[in-house]
Amino acid sequence: MPREIITLQAGQCGNSVGSQFWQQLCQEHGINQDGNLADYATEGGDRKDVFFYQSDDTRYIPRAILLDLEPRVINSIRTGSYGNIYNPENVYVLKEGGGAGNNWAQGYSRGGEIEDEVLDMIDREADGSDSLEGFMLLHSIAGGTGSGLGSFLLERLNDRFPKKLIQTYSVFPDTQPQAGSDIVVQPYNSLLALRRLTQNADSVVVLDNGALGRIAADTLHVQEPSFQQTNQLVSTVMSASTTTLRYPGYMHNDMVGIMASLIPTPRCHFLQTSYTPFTGESVESAKLVRKTTVLDVMRRLLQPKNQMVSTKPSKSSCYISILNIIQGEADPTDVGHATAFHNPIQSMMTDCLQVHKSLLRIRERDMASFIPWGPASIQVALTRTSPYLQPPYTTRPPPRVSGLMLANHTGIATLFKRIVAQYDRLRKRNAFLEQYKREEPFRDGLGEFDEAREVAMDLIGEYEDAERADYLTGGAAAEESANSGADARTDGVTGR
Amino acid sequence: MSAAPPSRTASVVEPRRTSAALRQKNRPTSASVDRENRPDSKASATRKGATTTTETRTERRVVEERLIRRTRSPLKPTEASNARKSRDATEKPQKAEKVRSDGGAAQQPMTWSPQATLLPPTSSAPLASRMSMPPLSQHAPTSIDPPPLSNLGLDGQERAVIEDLLFVCMGFEGQYIRYVESYNPLDEQLRLTGPSFRIAHGLDPSLRDLAGGMLKTATHYAALEIFVEVMGREECGTVNHALGAAMRKLLKDYVILIAQLEHQSLTNTGFTLHQLNLHLKPTGHMITQLYSLAQEVLKENSMLGDHEEDVDQSDDFENILESLREGRDTAIPGKKSCKGGSVLRLVTRRLHASAGDPAATQLLTSLLRESSKPYMRMLNEWLHHGNVQDPHSEFFIKEQKSIRREGLQQDYTDEYWEKRYTIRPELVPPQLEGVKDRVLLAGKYLNVVRECGGITDMNRDLSNSGEVPHTFDDPRFLENVSSAYAFANRSLMTLLLTTHTLPARLRSLKHYFFLDRSDFFTYFLELSSSELRKPAKNVNAGKLQSLLDIVLRQPGSVAAEDPFKEDVKVTMSDTGLTGWLMRVVNVQGMDADASSLSIAYTGGGSTTGGKEEKDISGYEALTLDYAVPFPLSLIISRNTLTRYQLLFRYLLSLRHLEAQLTQSWTEHTKAAAWISKNRSKAKTDSQRKIENWKRRAWCLRARMLCFVQQLLYFCTSEVIEPNWTGFMARLEHSAAADDAPSDAADGGEAQLGGAKVKRTVDELMQDHVDFLATCLKECMLTNSKLLRINSKVMSTCSMFANYTSSLSRYLASADPDLAPSNEGSTASSKPDPAKLDKLFSILQQYEDHFSRHLKILLDALNYLAATETVVFLGLCARLSMANEGGPGGGPGPGAYG
Repeated sequence: MPREIITLQAGQCGNSVGSQFWQQLCQEHGINQDGNLADYATEGGDRKDVFFYQSDDTRYIPRAILLDLEPRVINSIRTGSYGNIYNPENVYVLKEGGGAGNNWAQGYSRGGEIEDEVLDMIDREADGSDSLEGFMLLHSIAGGTGSGLGSFLLERLNDRFPKKLIQTYSVFPDTQPQAGSDIVVQPYNSLLALRRLTQNADSVVVLDNGALGRIAADTLHVQEPSFQQTNQLVSTVMSASTTTLRYPGYMHNDMVGIMASLIPTPRCHFLQTSYTPFTGESVESAKLVRKTTVLDVMRRLLQPKNQMVSTKPSKSSCYISILNIIQGEADPTDVGHATAFHNPIQSMMTDCLQVHKSLLRIRERDMASFIPWGPASIQVALTRTSPYLQPPYTTRPPPRVSGLMLANHTGIATLFKRIVAQYDRLRKRNAFLEQYKREEPFRDGLGEFDEAREVAMDLIGEYEDAERADYLTGGAAAEESANSGADARTDGVTGR
Repeated sequence: MSAAPPSRTASVVEPRRTSAALRQKNRPTSASVDRENRPDSKASATRKGATTTTETRTERRVVEERLIRRTRSPLKPTEASNARKSRDATEKPQKAEKVRSDGGAAQQPMTWSPQATLLPPTSSAPLASRMSMPPLSQHAPTSIDPPPLSNLGLDGQERAVIEDLLFVCMGFEGQYIRYVESYNPLDEQLRLTGPSFRIAHGLDPSLRDLAGGMLKTATHYAALEIFVEVMGREECGTVNHALGAAMRKLLKDYVILIAQLEHQSLTNTGFTLHQLNLHLKPTGHMITQLYSLAQEVLKENSMLGDHEEDVDQSDDFENILESLREGRDTAIPGKKSCKGGSVLRLVTRRLHASAGDPAATQLLTSLLRESSKPYMRMLNEWLHHGNVQDPHSEFFIKEQKSIRREGLQQDYTDEYWEKRYTIRPELVPPQLEGVKDRVLLAGKYLNVVRECGGITDMNRDLSNSGEVPHTFDDPRFLENVSSAYAFANRSLMTLLLTTHTLPARLRSLKHYFFLDRSDFFTYFLELSSSELRKPAKNVNAGKLQSLLDIVLRQPGSVAAEDPFKEDVKVTMSDTGLTGWLMRVVNVQGMDADASSLSIAYTGGGSTTGGKEEKDISGYEALTLDYAVPFPLSLIISRNTLTRYQLLFRYLLSLRHLEAQLTQSWTEHTKAAAWISKNRSKAKTDSQRKIENWKRRAWCLRARMLCFVQQLLYFCTSEVIEPNWTGFMARLEHSAAADDAPSDAADGGEAQLGGAKVKRTVDELMQDHVDFLATCLKECMLTNSKLLRINSKVMSTCSMFANYTSSLSRYLASADPDLAPSNEGSTASSKPDPAKLDKLFSILQQYEDHFSRHLKILLDALNYLAATETVVFLGLCARLSMANEGGPGGGPGPGAYG
């Protein structure tokens, strides 16, 4: 019924992450590969209709729109194990199938060409939901399709659904200096996409390929983690961050509530995530032998090595807000299970106490520093987990407690700084600009690049301001550094 | 002579009617022989004739009367025949007397004409003697006075005294032994105390002493006769009836003894006063014991005229009204009455007191056994059927029939459960003193089970079954109580937990009132927002109800799977939550908050809340109601449901506030006026100020949101949820404890059940109430100070959220870069400084209000955390986050102007 979310997956990365995500959701909700409910999935209490709708033959269909400019990934999804659950009408592959050639401009202008068909799909999905809450966009910002087409979609969605929330899960490229990149123009693509993320999205969950690879390598003990493995991490984060929507509890049952608490000022809406502990069937060798407690999980969530973004926080960096989503054992007050009652009750009660204790400890030990000018908003949501991830349905028991941290941290600005710096290096040499000039947005010159850079610098400035105690009273110096920001939103879209 | 006084047992065994008849036949002869044997009798010949004629007349009348009696009370043959027998026994001397007086009358017909008549039957005591009172001998004319004793020889004196004593022992006056003058046979009190006798002058001192000793027995007997009669009245209750019957049986033995002694005295010429005395001794002892018991009972009944203490422990009107309704006459309130349990207590006390006297112990034991039988019948009926069958209000459980379970829906004080059955402490027999609460609960539980049709063997005949004890001295007495209690508790627990699925009910209540899966409710609020925005009195409750029904039927929500969703109803309260709570909190004294809740609820339009009642919005008035079917409504009573509603409305207000603030967040994030950032390179002063203003507004909103969310989190995750799991654990525990004895009872013995009852239904109810009370307290709903401050903070937040849109308008008009209309005009570049100042001052006001009230709230919480409610410490830690940062003490707008 209410609060539906439509998922848009664009490009190679977005679609592979998306297929993992849907697979995970299906497992959690007990949905078969053909979209029907599994026989054992009788417990209820979960909200499948946030992400799925039911067709006439009672199959569950994801509210997903799959977009790509080349057929390879989507074809593999549709021939894969969960390929049949998608609505074929919601899959768009460019007929010519040439892809975007890792070119933001190409992806963006292809978007203009296929606009009508894509918006038709979106409209149809939006009409099919009772009370649409918003959109979730999965993409990467380094390549062509996810970055370019994604940017285009963000602008269009903002125009067409001005009241709906737009959240993106954006995979950022590895910007560590030592990292080699397979796409030379990724700084261009990233910067151009970053501008849309800043201006047209309400909340961006930043996932950094470098950090993902590092975490996968750490937890899985493999040197070169495959894309499939890192995508697994992303889908785990995504499913964890939506558990409060799918397994409603007392609070945080809609996206807007979560986002409102995390994003006090509209411009600082880039969220970083941490997740611990990684495990599960697909992450094979991630064996955990330690006992997990709420306290332990909350402590580890604050550790930089569990962050899925590589940032270099300075001394003055601080948290703007934190939301910890702690997934405990299945809610003991849930239906059934009269016999196995005793222990979960105890553990739930201790969990509640532990949450309080760990919050106190975090504050006492100053494990996380907060913005000096606003509320130190650290929230905890205790949620149930899917009963179908437990041993009768899987081979491996899940960790007793797992946690996801969604945090709004000023340190994320360093990531943007690196992108800008890499862009500057490339731009100074005027390298690889030819292929951009061929496309629509750059016909009239490279002003688009400069505007994007301004927006990015403005964003960085905003985050730096937020670290200062005089954020509210407005230090003049800070204004100076970031005074050149452009506002495309009120002016309409300039980049075409 | 050697023939001992007849043994009591033998006479009991003897067929009664024949014996009575025999005695009747014997009577005239014996009487006439009696007369004939008197050599000194003056007119024996005349008397003889008269005697025979009168005797035949009375004989016939007695037969008639017997017929009448048989038709009237065919049900109680034993008692009837008992009574008859005893009356027959009393009739005998009466007739003899009559004979004598007849004789006298023949001589002096004018002044002295004693007549014995049969009084019309009275309804109150069917077994009482209906013989008219014989005239007092002191009124007899002196002409028929016997010759003075001094004229007789010692032998003659002894004969005369023996003869007289035999009369006197039956309670009549003799010729020489008469009532004292002060005795008036029409005065019931004097009769109950027993007549005192006086021996005529001139008796030989040795005989006088001997006879004087026996007179006491005579007095006691006469008093007991009356006592038994009085106790036979209907209003005295079944226990007294049984006691009277038992005494009557003993008195009959006494009468038989007297008859035998008379026979001795008539046939045995060697029969002396000494022998008479000797034979009377043991029985006299018994009579004395009975007498003192009777006196005690009478004293307790205030029938002996101790009117100086005007007792006004009036039974409540309830009883009087009820008995009036049922058409039986009432014991006048204010009069002490001793019946049922207190009689048993009395007997038991005497039994304990006379432990050293084997004869008395035996006597009292048998009396107790007999008199406890009707009580046990009631007890068993109560214990095993849950019924009170107590027309004379003797049982120690009192039933208020006027409190009906139909009233449970409006019952704010748990009246049904608390007051329908109560213990009368003064009527608890000592044997039950230790287990009275168990007895009460056992019956109460069974009653509930029975009303739900849960008991199958309702028709089990308890009075004849060997399974239950029928007297107090049965060794299974206590075991009976505890096994019945265990059974009742188990059945009710099973009824509640299994048949009526209490845990599922509670879980469903939790869904609706605590919104533990609030998704459906969020949707409901969204659908009904247009309706709820209106003032409460304009809200269409029917529409809300249909919207709620729609939401509850949406697949996927927790409510859709809830079988009890039909029971949820929307109601609109006429009082705001805070006003209501304030009134509850401010009601002092009385019995806790139970009554005050009802007062506050029913007394709608009191003066204090007058202002807010008018302008509360639909959101503030929205309440859910929940229909609970009967047996569960004991646990989920109106009283507890009201607490659920209080919590619900509090959570609703928090949730609504959160929704308002997120809405304003959306506006802050989406609306052009808020996110626009001027792009001109040259930053003007005013532009920077606008930017700062926006940041401050965002920050204030974030602080408010943080406050609300932390409060909501605290109330749900740290108050309701842990308390709930604790409560459920106790419930599970009781369910488990409930299973265990049933298993044991299957295999083993019922007596194990008594020990295994760990959790009673009452404890369960208490747990439930405690759970809710704790939640209310820890959600800050019970302290008037906290309530006031909290509502202030919340109303500040709500006002700020509501003004968001007008603030956006202000902002748009103040911001020179916005508002397309401004673009052309020249004024656009020159922003209105007055407007800007206005913006700042508005915001400043909100900030100040919020910070100040939050600070006060935190201080109050800190204080309370240190003094009474420790949980507030956690809340303090949370809420202080919201107070962190922010320009609470920052410079005002003047600093930038």
